[in-house]
Amino acid sequence: MNSNGAIRIGFYICHCGTNIAGVIDVDAVAAYAASLPGVVLSRDYKYMCSDPGQDLIAQDIREQGLNRIVVASCSPLLHERTFRGAVERGGLNPFLVHMVNIREHGSWVHEDGGLATTKAMDLVRAAVRRVVHHIPLERSRVPVHPDVLVVGGGIAGIHAALTLAAAGKKVTLVEREPSIGGHMAQFDKTFPTLDCAACILTPKMTAVKAHPNITLWTYSEVTAVKGSVGNFTVTVKRKPRYIREDLCVGCLECIDACIYKDGKFADEFNLGLSKRKPIYVPFPQAVPAVPVVDPEHCVHLKTGKCKDLCVQICAERNAFDFDQQPEFIDITVGAVILATGFTTFDAKRIPYYGYGVYPNVYTALEAERLVNASGPTGGEIVLPDGRAPASVAIVHCVGSRDADYNRWCSRVCCMYSLKLAHLIQEHTKAEIYNFYIDMRSAGKSMEEFYNRVSEEGVHLIRGRVADIYPETANGKDGHIGRVIVQAEDTLIGRIRKIPVDMVILSVGLQPQDDAEDVRRMFNISCSAGGFFLERHPKLAPVNTFTDGIYLAGACQGPKDIPDAVAQAGAAAAEALALIDAGFVELEPNTAYVMEEECSGCKSCIPLCPYSAISFAEDVLKATINAVLCKGCGTCVASCPSASIRQHLFEDAQIFSEIEGLLTHA
Amino acid sequence: MLATEEAVEQMWGVTLDRLYDSEEGRRILSCIQCGTCAGTCPHGEHMQYPPRRIITMLKAGLIEEVFASDSLVMCVNCYACQSKCPRNIRLTEILLPLVKEQTIVRLPQMPPELQKAVENSYRYGNSQGESARKRALWTKTATVPIRILADDPRPVDALWFVESDLAFHPRGQDVARATARVFDALGADFAILGNEERTAGDCGRLSWEPGLSEALIDYTMSILKKYEFRRIVVSDPHAFDAFKYRYPMFGFDETVESTVSYVHRDLEKIRPRLKKRLEYTVTYHDSCCLGRHNKLFEEPRELLLAIPGIRLVEMVHTRENGLCCGGGGGGMWLDTYYKARGIERLSDRRVREALDTGADVLAIACPYEISRFEDAVKVAGAEGRLRVRDIMELLVESFGDA
Ligand SMILES: Cc1cc2nc3c(=O)[nH]c(=O)nc-3n(C[C@H](O)[C@H](O)[C@H](O)COP(=O)(O)OP(=O)(O)OC[C@H]3O[C@@H](n4cnc5c(N)ncnc54)[C@H](O)[C@@H]3O)c2cc1C
Ligand code: SF4
Ligand code: SF4
Repeated sequence: MNSNGAIRIGFYICHCGTNIAGVIDVDAVAAYAASLPGVVLSRDYKYMCSDPGQDLIAQDIREQGLNRIVVASCSPLLHERTFRGAVERGGLNPFLVHMVNIREHGSWVHEDGGLATTKAMDLVRAAVRRVVHHIPLERSRVPVHPDVLVVGGGIAGIHAALTLAAAGKKVTLVEREPSIGGHMAQFDKTFPTLDCAACILTPKMTAVKAHPNITLWTYSEVTAVKGSVGNFTVTVKRKPRYIREDLCVGCLECIDACIYKDGKFADEFNLGLSKRKPIYVPFPQAVPAVPVVDPEHCVHLKTGKCKDLCVQICAERNAFDFDQQPEFIDITVGAVILATGFTTFDAKRIPYYGYGVYPNVYTALEAERLVNASGPTGGEIVLPDGRAPASVAIVHCVGSRDADYNRWCSRVCCMYSLKLAHLIQEHTKAEIYNFYIDMRSAGKSMEEFYNRVSEEGVHLIRGRVADIYPETANGKDGHIGRVIVQAEDTLIGRIRKIPVDMVILSVGLQPQDDAEDVRRMFNISCSAGGFFLERHPKLAPVNTFTDGIYLAGACQGPKDIPDAVAQAGAAAAEALALIDAGFVELEPNTAYVMEEECSGCKSCIPLCPYSAISFAEDVLKATINAVLCKGCGTCVASCPSASIRQHLFEDAQIFSEIEGLLTHA
Repeated sequence: MLATEEAVEQMWGVTLDRLYDSEEGRRILSCIQCGTCAGTCPHGEHMQYPPRRIITMLKAGLIEEVFASDSLVMCVNCYACQSKCPRNIRLTEILLPLVKEQTIVRLPQMPPELQKAVENSYRYGNSQGESARKRALWTKTATVPIRILADDPRPVDALWFVESDLAFHPRGQDVARATARVFDALGADFAILGNEERTAGDCGRLSWEPGLSEALIDYTMSILKKYEFRRIVVSDPHAFDAFKYRYPMFGFDETVESTVSYVHRDLEKIRPRLKKRLEYTVTYHDSCCLGRHNKLFEEPRELLLAIPGIRLVEMVHTRENGLCCGGGGGGMWLDTYYKARGIERLSDRRVREALDTGADVLAIACPYEISRFEDAVKVAGAEGRLRVRDIMELLVESFGDA
């Protein structure tokens, strides 16, 4: 404030090129603003957010003794930070500026320039009245805890954890399954280069296990999250595997020793295509290489009566602990990276594809296991009756691009379908028919890969499969008859009915079944299809609307391994930027209790969505933790004695703004 | 996908040149040319222009060429294409009838059987060409009393819309009598329009001049206005469909139920009457209107399973993916036309699927199917091996006292 304490408002209106000035008469608005009480200077400028535009404000403050600023331009979401910075550089408290949105709320949504100009004037008048009541505020800083939590140990989570660990940060990696690896661990080869999935993945998995900065908790899940950016308290549930990870050396002799001589229960990792014992590791390269005991089938755990051959063979290490209980551990971290991946579309939902009805109809993930040398058939592509197929149909877009199922393109299926075509042809010499709608091969080396598989003689038929039905009834001898795959070959305009021995359904990618629970727990948003929502689709693709929570991999949307890894790196970098800054600045738009007026009724406490309000037993008053408060205003509106107020939303500010709006020029 | 109420409203009055004025019509622009419609169409291989190509031709301004071909005479209005279309394009509800209408108008000669059916419907109110005065004759041989509203116009709970195939066809009449017995066993308060009834006119809209179906709809609505009733119960799925989707466009707003769901709702009331074991292996044919278009898949099966002794087996094409009997969309009167073009009757294909299941009874719930399937059973030389029975007939058979 200048020496005599008078309010001196500077007003600036932005043309935004023609974005605003093309519709709104900016000269007229500037002239109008100049006539308003308190406004001592009014300017228009082509781009207020540009450096010269900002300098203009800073300079005017210094030279003209301005003590309040109003900028009429775009949404504060985009440039409030910019103009607060400019004001600060001019030597004023940054909270003495107020923005008027005449673009998103004005020129972009109105066609009548005259009316839009009048509306802009109304909004400007309201802002000028409001800004008078602005007072200087201080941002508080909270320190950021340097540790990071990564949820999900697929390729994205693995890469993010390793990157952070390499930067010297302590990382806890929580994975729900007994081993890390995610979907990639199930593949044989990976498109477009056809490198062996295990060969490139397992070194990274072992590196996770070996890294001193990474705490790996598999068979574990996050059950609760408290706090906010810089200081999250996360509760992790560690499910009992009945074998102590610290004692087990991974010799796996216990599995051999188990009283079940052969596998008897559906093997989840092989999607039920093989059987496992009640004690198992999901796959040979599992990390950690510590077996899990399945309490539903283990005779000891079910009946207490077993010869316990497993325990005996482990006598020396003595790693068994059948008394293990679920353990709940709280950890504190400054940032979280969600890398919970995807699940595949349930092919049974499309009845006319016959999945679950005809034994020779497989999903692509099952096919991945079949071609994998460590899979249920040792890498042989065979039908349930043991024969190798002479003809195979690969059906693209199953559950994707479909208004009745998932609307989106799953992005990786075209390429993995070509990969499977190549691999199966290589293994069996079968005739392969890929039925596709559009071949999507965007991305580095993808089109070349498409070209390669085309030249290998795979039949590429452009048409979505409309029906799959048996050619003849299955023989009583267990012989599995062919099925007919029917589709219009749209390029020749004929209906094709191709009998094949085997069908592979290229199921799409969709959000994990519990994505909604995870979303709620971490207080982030989901996009329409249920994938986690990024803060900005182009400019903040790994951030969420909750500070300190980042996204990596297919949990944010379908993507291939290269993109998942790139995104994981970006998420790690964002987390590092946060941690290495050391602190976060909090917006001062928080609520505060007028202690003398609070009656201690406690009605606000349960209303706060962020649990920021507590009750001070000593003075019998409510108190608000400014670090947790997000400024939603719920408590302010609800307090029966009007004893909660909120910075930047003070009664005087809001009422003046409303009066300004309602007072016609 | 079922049409929503708004969609139904939007569909009315839509013509090809005004197609894109409505949201439902505009959806055609989203076609991805995947060919699912053509691939699933039971007559797809015989159409020069299956739905997918119709859409491209329309967009390219070449729709006259489509009219000039007889492709859409092959459409039996089975809803298969619409139900599988990944863009939910209202093929069977909007696009195809419009194209079909224009196609039929341009045919050098209207197929004679179809012509006859149209004329009969104009003249007699039924495609069979039977005297309107004989419509209620079947009630004389019914074993339970059947109230005719013209004679006794007191308010009634269920106005049973019998429709022509049940009223006139000898096998249809068997079903009508059986249905009456089931209603009686339910203790239902029901009555029929008798000789005042005329065909509801659904297939008319789809295969003949729209003027005819409008005249029939006007007529039926005016008759219905005379009486007080709580619901209309409809035996013929095509008429049921007409009342549900077509009639509301003319301001009709009564509660409509199919016979199947009406009986199913009170199944417990008749369950004690189902005493006689029927040791049959039964396969059920989903009528396109009841099944695919109105999603009545479980109810008919549950009625069958309520009968002691019955073993239910499914055909390869079932429920949502059922195969049309070929009678819809005017197909009922196009068998000769199709035959002349070397097209196998869909009913023959369907009966082969039924025979493949090893069933001895083919259960149905649509009167078109009785005559079509019984004939197809003969063609297949399977008489005595496979019997065609309406669900109502099987229920009555299980009453065991006939
Ligand atoms: C059949 C098929 C073949 C494919 N082939 C290729 C290919 O050849 N090349 C290619 O580039 N891409 C391919 N892809 C795509 C590839 O699978 C993905 O790009 C990749 O798996 C994404 O990795 P991710 O880590 O984001 O997710 P995921 O691999 O799904 O990993 C997510 C991990 O998070 C864990 N998790 C989930 N929820 C929780 C929770 N709440 N708490 C703790 N942990 C949790 C899961 O158990 C899992 O381990 C293919 C996809 C399919 C379906
Ligand atoms: S099924 Fe639908 S999207 Fe596909 S070609 Fe036919 S109308 Fe177009
Ligand atoms: S409604 Fe049936 S017969 Fe008509 S075009 Fe569609 S699938 Fe073919």
